[in-house]
Amino acid sequence: MDELINHPAVQAGVAPFLAGLLTAGLLCRARLGGLAVVAGFATAVALISGFGFTPLTATRKIILLGLLAPLLGLGVDWFARPTRTVNIVLTVLSAATAVWVFWAVLVQKEFVDALRLGAIVSVSTAVTVALTLSLVSRPVRAASAGLCLGLGVGIAAVLAASTQYGQYGIALGASCGAVLLLQMLLGRGIPTGVTFALSASLLAALLGSAAFVLASLPWPALALLALVPLAARVPLPDRMPVWLQALVACIFAILPAMAAFYLTWTAAAGAQG
Amino acid sequence: MSKLAFALVAVALPLTAVAAPESYTLDPYHTYPNFEVNHLGYSKMRGRFDKSAGKFSIDRAAKSGSLELTVQTASITTGDNDKGNRPRARDEHLRAADFFNVAEFPTMVYKAATVKFSGDNVSSLEGNLTLLGVTKPLALTVDNWKCGPHPVSKKEMCGANAHGTFKRSDFGMKYGIPAVGDEITLWVEVEAYKD
Repeated sequence: MDELINHPAVQAGVAPFLAGLLTAGLLCRARLGGLAVVAGFATAVALISGFGFTPLTATRKIILLGLLAPLLGLGVDWFARPTRTVNIVLTVLSAATAVWVFWAVLVQKEFVDALRLGAIVSVSTAVTVALTLSLVSRPVRAASAGLCLGLGVGIAAVLAASTQYGQYGIALGASCGAVLLLQMLLGRGIPTGVTFALSASLLAALLGSAAFVLASLPWPALALLALVPLAARVPLPDRMPVWLQALVACIFAILPAMAAFYLTWTAAAGAQG
Repeated sequence: MSKLAFALVAVALPLTAVAAPESYTLDPYHTYPNFEVNHLGYSKMRGRFDKSAGKFSIDRAAKSGSLELTVQTASITTGDNDKGNRPRARDEHLRAADFFNVAEFPTMVYKAATVKFSGDNVSSLEGNLTLLGVTKPLALTVDNWKCGPHPVSKKEMCGANAHGTFKRSDFGMKYGIPAVGDEITLWVEVEAYKD
């Protein structure tokens, strides 16, 4: 049993997928299906590294934000509407969290380098979150974006010399994929709200930024990953079956991620920015 | 009384000179922390940190001393730094967040405030290792210790080899356990010149 639980495919794939599927399936009627992201991600964290927040490293800050983002998302879904103003506030907050996560690294750099690094991580996070929030009213697209963001960041992180971020990214993709699968099986979209969009996009953006700052992901690859939710907005007829919408959206959404893989693979070892 | 005071000072002066701690600066070209870790249960892989710096002090009369060794974690090498056709080289992976996370924690530090002697020689050190922001106790056993003049420059120097073991998971470095061992053996070679 221990061997099974310690297997990377279980930790990063099977377990988060099942946790996401169970959560989405049980809670979708209460409009809480968006919690599938945090359920899957938390499952992966529990199996891979466990929960511990001292010292508060960059990785632990990301995990902490991954646990808090759905609470903020629920607050917006229950007490506010996803207006343009709300989306802008969430985007700015997300960009600020990116600077907070990597503050310990930024303060070690020369001012110009710190500014450059800080700008890259905050802008890429802001773009990812803003583009994903624009998909809130289209849950099939949002789930497709989440799946491709997670897988994209995960695979790129592995290529960039960080298997742990790779596992977290793939786990994120697996839990988003579970929500997408449920929608395909039911033949209709499941409202997942800001809870899903914020959780998935913020985690993906921060994990990608971590692979850039703390491993060897080149910044153009990070920029390409931020465009995944944009690619998921491919125009599709409303009458198209849900399973086909999901498939087509995923095919388009994974394209920028594949470009990111190529860039990362061909980049020189240790290159950054 | 003044004669008595003078006599007491005259007797005490040589004793204070002997009791004074001596300070040494570690020679970065002859001071290397090396490590050994079990790999898949088949072999013990070895590596080292190429850049470190520090100081130690020793008081032979008082049988006390201290050591501070700061290691640049980015200088880690296991002989694999060319990725070739692979997605990454091993040394690149060791520098990344899965292991030493050098961007966030560029140094690891060993500070020993307790030095034990066997006769006139240092036999062990008790101190703390700070790695990945976590500080835990680590004792080092000194395998050999020698002080004397450098054969060419005649400058006073000391040299030693020491070793100790710790679990990397205690410091939050959990990736790859148990395939890559949890227990790390640290072997430190040190040479230092008197200030």
